[in-house]
This record gives sequence, C-alpha cells and structure tokens, in this order.
Amino acid sequence: MAAACAPAVLASGCGPNQSITSPVTDPAREIDTLWWAMFAVGMVVFLAVMALLVLAFVRRRRASDPAEADRISYAVILGGGMFAPVVLLAVLFAFVIRVMPAVSAPEPGSTRLTVEVIGHQWYWEVRYPGTGAVTANEIHIPVGTPVRIVARTADVIHSFWVPRLNRKIDMIPGRSNSIELDVPRPGTYRGQCSEFCGLGHAEMAFEVIVQPRNAFRAWLDHEAQPAQTPSGGAALTGEQEFQSASCADCHTIRGTPAHGRVGPDLTHLGGRRTLAALTIPNTAGDLMQWIRNPQGWKPGSRMPGFASLPAAARQALVAYLESLR
Amino acid sequence: MTSTPLPRARPNGWYGMLILVATESAIFGTLLATYAYLRFRDPSWPPPGVAPPSVTAPLVLALVPVAASVPMGIASRTARLRRAGPLVAPIVLATLVQIAYLAFQVHLFSDDLARFSPRDSAYGSIYFTVLAVHHAHVAAGILLDCWLIARVRTGLTEYRRTAVMAIALYWYFVSLAGLAVTATILSPAW
Amino acid sequence: MAVESAAPAAAQRIDRLDRIWAGRPGLTGWLTTTDHKRIGLLYLWTSLAFFAAGGAEALVMRTQLAEPRQHVVGPATYDQIMTMHGVTMIFLFVIPLSIGAFGNYLVPLMIGARDMAFPRMNALSYWLFLGSGLLMYTSLLLGMAPDAGWFDYVPLASRRFSPGLGIDFYALGLILNGISSTAAAANFLVTIAKLRAPGMSLNRMPLFCFAILATSFSLVFALPALTTDLVFLELDRKLGFRFFDVAHGGDPLLWQHLFWIFGHPEVYIIVLPAFGIATSIIPTFTRRTMTAFPLVAVAELLVAFIGFGVWVHHMFATGLPAVTMVFFAAASLIIVIPSGIQIFAWCMTMVTGRPEYKTPLLFIVGFIVFFVFGGLSGITLAAVPFDQQVTDTYYVVAHFHYVIWGAAVFPLLGGLYYWFPKVTGRMYHERIGQTTFWLVFAGTNLTFFPMHISGLLGMPRRVWTYPGGLGWNVENLVSTIGAFLLTAGLVALFANLIVSAYRGAPAGADPFRGGTLEWATTSPPPRYNFAVIPYVTSAYPCWDVDDRADDRRRLEAGELVLEENHETPATTPVDGRLDEILHMPSESPWPFALGVVATLGTALVLSDHFLIAAAGVALAAAVLTLWHAKEPAPA
Ligand code: HEA
Ligand code: HEA
Ligand code: HEC
Ligand code: CUA
Ligand SMILES: [Cu+2]
Repeated sequence: MAAACAPAVLASGCGPNQSITSPVTDPAREIDTLWWAMFAVGMVVFLAVMALLVLAFVRRRRASDPAEADRISYAVILGGGMFAPVVLLAVLFAFVIRVMPAVSAPEPGSTRLTVEVIGHQWYWEVRYPGTGAVTANEIHIPVGTPVRIVARTADVIHSFWVPRLNRKIDMIPGRSNSIELDVPRPGTYRGQCSEFCGLGHAEMAFEVIVQPRNAFRAWLDHEAQPAQTPSGGAALTGEQEFQSASCADCHTIRGTPAHGRVGPDLTHLGGRRTLAALTIPNTAGDLMQWIRNPQGWKPGSRMPGFASLPAAARQALVAYLESLR
Repeated sequence: MTSTPLPRARPNGWYGMLILVATESAIFGTLLATYAYLRFRDPSWPPPGVAPPSVTAPLVLALVPVAASVPMGIASRTARLRRAGPLVAPIVLATLVQIAYLAFQVHLFSDDLARFSPRDSAYGSIYFTVLAVHHAHVAAGILLDCWLIARVRTGLTEYRRTAVMAIALYWYFVSLAGLAVTATILSPAW
Repeated sequence: MAVESAAPAAAQRIDRLDRIWAGRPGLTGWLTTTDHKRIGLLYLWTSLAFFAAGGAEALVMRTQLAEPRQHVVGPATYDQIMTMHGVTMIFLFVIPLSIGAFGNYLVPLMIGARDMAFPRMNALSYWLFLGSGLLMYTSLLLGMAPDAGWFDYVPLASRRFSPGLGIDFYALGLILNGISSTAAAANFLVTIAKLRAPGMSLNRMPLFCFAILATSFSLVFALPALTTDLVFLELDRKLGFRFFDVAHGGDPLLWQHLFWIFGHPEVYIIVLPAFGIATSIIPTFTRRTMTAFPLVAVAELLVAFIGFGVWVHHMFATGLPAVTMVFFAAASLIIVIPSGIQIFAWCMTMVTGRPEYKTPLLFIVGFIVFFVFGGLSGITLAAVPFDQQVTDTYYVVAHFHYVIWGAAVFPLLGGLYYWFPKVTGRMYHERIGQTTFWLVFAGTNLTFFPMHISGLLGMPRRVWTYPGGLGWNVENLVSTIGAFLLTAGLVALFANLIVSAYRGAPAGADPFRGGTLEWATTSPPPRYNFAVIPYVTSAYPCWDVDDRADDRRRLEAGELVLEENHETPATTPVDGRLDEILHMPSESPWPFALGVVATLGTALVLSDHFLIAAAGVALAAAVLTLWHAKEPAPA
C-alpha cells in the first residue's frame, strides 16, 4: 500500500501525519509553498544543465572557430553562472524574507494561551502555566486559537517539531525559545524530537491534540485536578505499592506524596493514549510489560525495570495507574 | 641560471613559518573571539567574587616580548643579508629577557590560580586558557632559541640562516599575540 | 614525449640521478620515505581502508533501517556506528584521499618539481593521520566509540551525559588529525608558491593546483576553530572547566558556532580538490583547453573564501535573531555564483570540445549531475523557513550525500581511473570501468534519492529505528537496496583496478594525451620525477610539443638536470622565475618516530595519564632535536 501511495502522498498532501507536504496551518502552508516553488524552479535549472550535457554528447565535435567557441562559452558561463543565479536568488531571498515572519517566535503575552514544553531524555513534559495541569507527551490545545509554545530543556538539546503545524525549534539549555501553533482543524498531529539527544532519540515522539474549545476547557480543568484516591481493591494496594516501590522517587502524582521529577507526571496517566513518548499504546497489558522491563520497549530509557517486583504487586500498580483518569 | 641564491630571497622555511603563524593567529583569534562571546552573554563579568584583573603588571609585561623582538630582528637581518654582524649575542639577550618574562608570568598565573579557579566559571575557564596558551607559546619559543643558540654558535650556514629568520618571525608573532591577549584579559578592568 | 630512449649522455645522467635518489629497500624504505609519491600511495591505501570501514558501517545502518522496527543492532551500537561513519568518511577518507593521496602524488608532478617543499614534514603528516585514525578505531574495537554524532553537540557530549571515553577518543583523535592536515596544508602552500618549474607563472599553473591552493588556505584558517573547540571540550570533560556549562556562564551554542566555523569551510575543503580533478580530466578527454580558465581559477579561490561566512546556516533552528539568519542565508546564496561559474565552464568545455566518454570522463559527467542536484537542494536549505522544517531530517542527509558523493567521491573515483596508468604503468579495463561507473551511478541515486522524500515526509536523521505507518517504509527499503548495489559497483571498481595493476596492458608515459606535466615523465615516474626540469610556456605544457622535444636536448646537454645532489629548483611565487636551487632532505626515520610518540602521547592524555604524557612531550622534543641534528649539505 505504502508503495503505491508514497509519491502520491508527496504531491497531494493527504496522508502521513508527519509530512511537511501535508500542512494544516498557515505557517506550514507557506513553507510548503516555498518548497514547491523552489522545487519547480530548481528542476528547470537542473534540466537546463542536463540539456547542456546532452548537447555535448550529441555534438561531439570540436568547434571550428575556437575564438567564437570561447565567446559563446563566456556568454553561457556568465549568463548561467552569474546572471541567472543573481536574478533567481534575489527572488528567492525576497520570498524567504516574506515567509520568515510567519514562522517567527511570538512575543510573550501575544497569545491567550501559553504552554511550556520541556524536553527530557527521552520524553516531553507539558505544563500549562497558571493552572496546575502537567502532563507528558500529549499537548492539548484549543482549535482556532493562537498558542505560544515555550520550548525548554531539562538536560541536553532536543528539538520540538510538528511538521504539519509549523517549523521546528531547538530546546537549548539556558535558553527558552518559542513558537506559535494556531491550528484551524481539530485533529491529532504527530511530532518528534529532531535533534540527536542520545539513546532514546528515535523514541521521543509526541502528539498535539487539537480540540474544540469546550472540550479543551474541560480537559484542562480535569487535568489540573489532583489524582483521586482509589476507593479500594487492587487500585488501592497499587497506590501503596507505588509509594513504597521507589516509583515515587521519580514520578509525581499530584494529591499524593509522590513528587519525583525524573520521570513524567502520572497524575492522569489513565487518560493518555500512549506510553513512553508514543512508543507503546496505553493498555493494561502494555503497562504491565513497561513496568517489568522498560528497556525492552525503549532501550536506554532512564526508568529501571521492576521485574523483581512480585507479579501481584505489578498488577496492583497497573490497576492503580489505570484508575488515574 | 645560477645556483647561488639571491641574497635577499626568503627561504622556504621562512614561508613555512609564515603559514604556521597564520594558523596560530587563527587559534588566538578563536580564543579571543570566545572571550568576547562569553562576555557578551554574561552580564556579570568577571563573576561575583572575582576581582577584575590588576592592570599595571600585565600591561608592562606585555611590552617585554615586543622589546625582545628588537634583538631578534637584528639577528634576523644579519642572517638574511648573509653579512657579518651581531648574531649570537642578540639572540642570547632576547632569550634571557624571554626567560625572565616567562618566569614572572608564571608567577602571576599561579597567583591568579590561588584567587579563583577555571572550574568556577566560564570567565575563569577562558581567562586561564588564553593565558596558558600564550605562555606555552613563549615556552616553545625559548626552547627554539636555545636550540638556535647551540647551532649558530659555530657560524652561519644556509640552513641556520633559515632557522634564524623563521624563529625571529615566530617571536614577532608571539609578542603581537601577547599584546592582543593582554588587551583582552584586561578589558574588564577598564 | 617521455625520456625513454635516451642518448648516451642522457642515459648517464639518468643513471646518476637514479643513484642519488634511490631510497632504502623494503619496509624500512616505506617507514623512512620522504618521496611524495610513496607518501601519496600510503595515504591512498590507508584512506581506502577507512573508506571500506566507513562503508561497512553504512551498510550496517542501512540494514538496520531497511524496515521499520528492526533490531539488527540496538541504539547503543547504532549511535556509535553512525558517528564513526560520519567521522571516518569526512576525516579519514575524503580529505586524506583528496589532499593526502591525490594532492601529494600529483602536485609536485604537475608543477614540475622533484618533491614537496618539506618532504619530512610530509611524511610526518601521514604518520600523524594514520595515528589519529588508528586511535579512533581503537575505540570501536573496545566498544566505546564516540556516539554523539559527527558534530558532537554539547551538552550531550559533556562528561555528564557521555561519561565514557568515547567522546575523548573523538576529540583527541581529531586534534591529532587536525595537526596532520595543517602540516599538509602548509606544505602544499609553500610547494605551490615556490617549487613550480621555471616559466610556470601563476596563470599557467594547472587548475588542480589552484584547487589544492584554495583548499590549503581554507584548512589553515578553518582547522584552528575546530582544534580550539575540541580543546575547550576536553578541558570541560577532563578538568571540569565551564566553557559549555550554562549554570556557570558557559554556553552550548559556543560549541556549535566554533564547530561550524570550521565545518562549513570543511565541506568546500572536501569538494575543491575534486573540482580540481574535474578540471584536469575534462580538457584531456575533450581535447581542448579549459574554457574561461582565469574565471574558474578565481571561482575556486572565491568558493574557499566565501565558505567562511555561511556557518550559521547549520544553526537556523536554534532560535538566533532573524537578522543574523537573513545575513547568513544571503551569504549562502552568494556562494552559488562561483559554483555556477565552474559548472557552466565544465559544461561549455565539453560542448565546444570533442568529448570522448572514457571512464574518467563518465565519472565527471556523473559528478556534474550530482553536484547540480545536491547544490540545488543546498539552496533550498539556505532558505531559512524551509531549513527550519527539514533540518535534522533525511532531507539534509540526502543533500550532503549528493554533494559529497557526487561532487567529491565521483571525481575521486574518476581520478583513480585517470591517473591509474600514471601510477601503475598499466591500463585499467575500459569496458569494465564503464560498467562500474553505471553501477555506482545507479547505486548512488537509488541510495540517496529516496532520502529526500523520507525527509520531506518527516523522518528525522540519526534514528536507529522508526515506526511503520508514517510512509517511510518504501523509501528506506529502496535506500538499502541501493546501498548494496552501490557496494557491488564499488567492489567491481576496485577489483578492476587491482587486477589491472597486475594484468593491465602497459600504458606508456601518456596514454590519454594529457596536457599537464605529470604526463611528461615515465609511468610510474622515477623517484626524482623528471630527469630534466621542464620549462613551461603555457597552461598545458604537455601539449607544447616543441618544449618537450627541447627537454630531450636539455637532458643531453645537462641543462637543469641537477645531477649533483638531491636538488630541485625554486622559483618566484608569482611569475615563476628561477631563483635558487634547493637541497632536498633524503630518507629519515624521525617523522615516523615522532608520529608514534605523538599518537602514544595522545593515548596517554586520553587515559588520564597526564604525567607520563608530559614525559612524552619531552620525548617529542628530543625526537625533533635529533630530526634536525644533521644539517643538509649547503647547496
Ligand atoms: C561537498 C560538500 C558540500 C557542498 C559542496 C555543499 C554545498 C552547499 N550546501 Fe551543504 N552541506 C554539506 C556538504 C556540502 N554542501 C554537509 C556535509 C552538510 C550537513 C552537515 C551535517 O549536518 O551533518 C550540509 C548542510 C547544509 C546546510 C544545513 C542544513 C541543515 O543542517 O539544516 C545548508 C543550509 O544552507 C547547506 C547549503 C549549501 C549550499 C547553499 C551549497 C552551495 O555551495 C551549492 C552551490 C551549487 C549549486 C547551486 C549548483 C550549481 C550551480 C548552478 C548550476 C548555477 C545555477 C543555479 C541557480 C540559478 C540557482 N548545506
Ligand atoms: C565522504 C562522506 C560520506 C560518504 C562517502 C558516505 C557514504 C554512505 N553513507 Fe553516509 N554520512 C556521512 C558521510 C558520508 N557517507 C556523514 C558525514 C554522515 C552524518 C553522520 C552523523 O549524523 O553524525 C552520514 C550519515 C549517513 C546516514 C544517516 C545516519 C543517520 O542519520 O542515522 C546514512 C543512512 O543511510 C548514510 C548512508 C551512507 C551509505 C549507504 C553510504 C555508501 O555510499 C557507502 C558505500 C561505500 C562502501 C560500501 C565502501 C566500499 C569500499 C570499498 C569496497 C573499498 C575497497 C578498498 C580497497 C580494495 C583498498 N550515511
Ligand atoms: C529512576 C527513575 C524512575 C523510577 C524509579 C520509576 N520510573 Fe517510571 N519513568 C521514569 C522515566 C524517566 C520515564 C520516562 C521514560 C521514557 O519515556 O523514556 C518513566 C515512565 C513511566 C511511565 C510512562 C509514562 C508516560 O506518560 O509515558 C509509567 C507508567 C511509569 N514510568 C511508571 C512507573 C512505576 C509504576 C514505577 C515503579 C514501579 C516507576 N515508574 C519507577 C523514571 C522512573
Ligand atoms: Cu530528544 Cu532527540
Ligand atoms: Cu554549510
């Protein structure tokens, strides 16, 4: 299927969810236009040079008048190597300058909503300043609303990138960069870390989930709540297990004593679609596997395996984490 | 067609040294640009707790290698023109001055190290690195001088002529680099 | 043309030259050699061995990436292999091959000299290069190769995030490598400025030498930025300095600036010698002089020069101010002009000549195709917003493999064929040669073209694996197939050359009727290159039949034969007038010794044995003193 679709996809802008050529927002569309314009002109230049090579192949005869030949050569060399580039590149330069503002960093306070995204080896911490909401690897934003994304890092350089929505921006220690997302259509858009950051670089993806405004409000209100203490059963055992089995050293679950800052906030883990930065789906079975041996899913992950924990304890943990909706 | 070389031609060894000097200038350029870059990024320069460098001693000292270039220049001229003239004596003189200079500088350097450390801040890192690189160049130059003295003691040959000219060129460069280094590291004191 | 059947007087002189210039036999001969041709061959074999290593690494990567979610190697191995692939190909393969092997072998021959200006320093360059390569490959054997990518960004490369020795191997190995390259560049500059044959004024100098000249200038001024950067990194890592530590006033972007201030000139350092090869091959096979010769010479120098002003285009996604980016985008666009001039000059030389599509010329045609394509994708990357989309994706990987493979490796392979008869005295197999061209051409396109698409579809680079379902599967599979096809082509190519070296038909001095001086001497050339130093009256001295006939007369008459001693003439830098006769040093064991001491010293620093390393410095000084103990006899 992919075989037939790949070239078509490139042209039509339908499919793959991380494609530069399937833009959704204005900035992404402007860059896409820039690309196709450059592609078209570039092809013309390429074919022109190829035509010269073909001409050389077809002619294969020494010029009868060397002086004449040199004159023609100089004309072509200066025309093709100097005149044409100066003209074409000036146009390109103007184009570039026109597109740059569309993808530039928004001023602080210029948008109604600001989201902080903090890169970690190898997951994304997502904070909503002014609310208590903290999540990971999913960025919920309202549709049709400019959102300022502030990109920072907790360790090495990462790069925040959702190709269908905007350019990428690096997350550099000591700096805070920003970028605007203003998405006109609800949907789920894939993003991925695009600065090499070590072992887990390939599995450092995330999703931007664009929701209708009401749905977003509801989500944010809920996300800002602390976790609910389980009413009983396996989940309750799981909560105790979580506090005693060192999970709490690394993870925060708001409303409980767990305040670790190494791993993702798990307060509403049950509501997330995936685990470990889009590496595996968030199902009970996968969660079980993850706790037993995270390295098996995501080699290099900073979370140790808990194969030594009794199976029952792990089951309780899973029940508890599942309950954190 | 003659195989007696032109009296004033610069030998290949001198050209070789010129290129070494060019690449070394780029090294010093990079170091000083780094100093400027880090300073520009950091509002507190030097960082709190580190006194700005004292001016007088380094400033006076920086002129010493420049002064010592004069006798080196005299020796180099003698060699270049293949004339009888002052040769060993100026080189010895220059070397003695250089040694005294280096000793004093090393003393200042260790004083500084007692005051603050290259591990405390980027300021310390670049400060000590720039100075250490320059001192290393002086030390290397002194070794070259010693070797040169041992050689030219017994008279000048084509080979030694090249060496005198090349090493003199090296010293011009080192003393100029010293001025640039001093001006840069003293800049926070102004 | 060549001095083969000589009259008795001439024969006597040649005999005398043979005796004066004879090297030592056997292995010692190679270890102590100062012959630029032998050193060139050492560079050739070593860099090709590293090519094979880097290629093997590429094949492991391609196998791992053939399909989504494979596990041929894990990320730990992949990252090391990916880094070593980049480092090997750039620092241990293309540059040593183009400058070390081609430059060394050809420059003295093309300018009519008997050796490089500093023959012993030339040997030292080689031994330091070998040492740096062996040092870096030790890390791979120990399973602790550098793994932070070839540009090694901090803080990932800092001690905190890369505690092992891998990064230290990288940094120290590259410092050693840089010293080697700097020495080589200095040597070329002086050689080209001073050792040209009488009459070879600058405007008659072969364009290949212009290219090496431009490259050497770039090296001299670009490498210090890298060296300094690496020293900062090691000071941070080993001694706890704070250059790159934000918490203490340092800045990780400092690393990036310095790396790319070196890194961008570096890419032109990679292509310029290849441009030079193209400008050597095209006139020979089109039977005419290069058109717009002065324009091409100036363009070669300009590319090297402007290349210093574009480095920020590697950092467009770091959030620098817009004005900075606009400035560097403009500079990146301007560099198109000298490149374009050269492209059209090559094409027009072919259009107005009578091209004969022998294997070397085919490779040059391939080169033009690739360079134009890769250059155009480079332009798209200079367009800031587009780069901010595709930087660090496979689109960039596609761009630089097109320009490096197409614009550097193709001419180098063409050059291997072109000068093969000169070096071995035998012809390669023409039909197999052409077949290998088509295999390699197809393989390269098949490998690297799909990467443009996967990049546009959002595939980041430096990922050890990827999920299916994002539309990247086919592209990756095709790339992998292409890589194996390419490998098959390369194996056939080298097999052709190796077999021909033993079985090929004797080539004679000048099988292609080339225009530059290397064709005036026998194949392979004698140790002293030319029995009589040629006089030069045009840019294509080998096409000046009368001059070359006059060489024979002068040999008999003993004019500028220099048969007394190890000698070569020196000329004035611009107009190439004879100004003195230089005495050249002969075989010496000290460059090799110093190379060993320097490599071991670096290894000691690497393993934190600073005190012993200091003793190593003293030892190096001792070696240097011995090296200079014996003065050459006065000229
Ligand atoms: C051989 C090496 C080589 C060469 C020659 C080039 C040539 C060029 N490169 Fe490339 N480049 C690399 C090697 C090279 N590059 C490498 C190794 C990297 C990546 C490093 C890494 O990240 O690992 C890189 C990355 C790179 C980037 C950064 C991408 C990123 O990481 O985001 C950019 C951005 O501007 C760029 C631009 C250019 C440009 C404008 C040219 C120009 O010089 C091209 C000029 C040539 C032509 C344009 C073709 C001929 C001209 C004509 C036919 C005239 C007519 C043309 C017109 C009318 C337009 N290159
Ligand atoms: C000169 C430069 C050069 C060359 C020639 C190549 C050649 C190849 N490269 Fe290149 N590559 C780089 C420079 C180069 N590369 C750089 C700088 C990077 C970036 C690294 C980084 O991100 O840090 C990179 C990254 C890179 C990647 C991306 C890795 C990633 O981002 O994860 C890939 C992926 O496919 C790849 C593939 C290949 C392939 C298949 C070849 C093939 O063309 C190789 C084919 C060659 C052979 C198979 C060898 C055959 C040799 C012989 C047979 C010799 C015989 C010898 C004797 C007989 C004496 N390379
Ligand atoms: C040493 C620190 C550490 C400990 C202890 C630890 N974790 Fe983690 N955990 C992490 C890190 C880091 C991640 C992020 C992994 C990644 O995506 O690369 C993570 C991820 C997770 C995730 C996936 C979160 C998401 O949003 O994708 C779950 C669930 C999880 N941990 C549960 C647990 C449980 C249950 C325990 C105890 C049994 C535990 N962790 C102990 C560090 C830790
Ligand atoms: Cu984070 Cu790559
Ligand atoms: Cu560049």
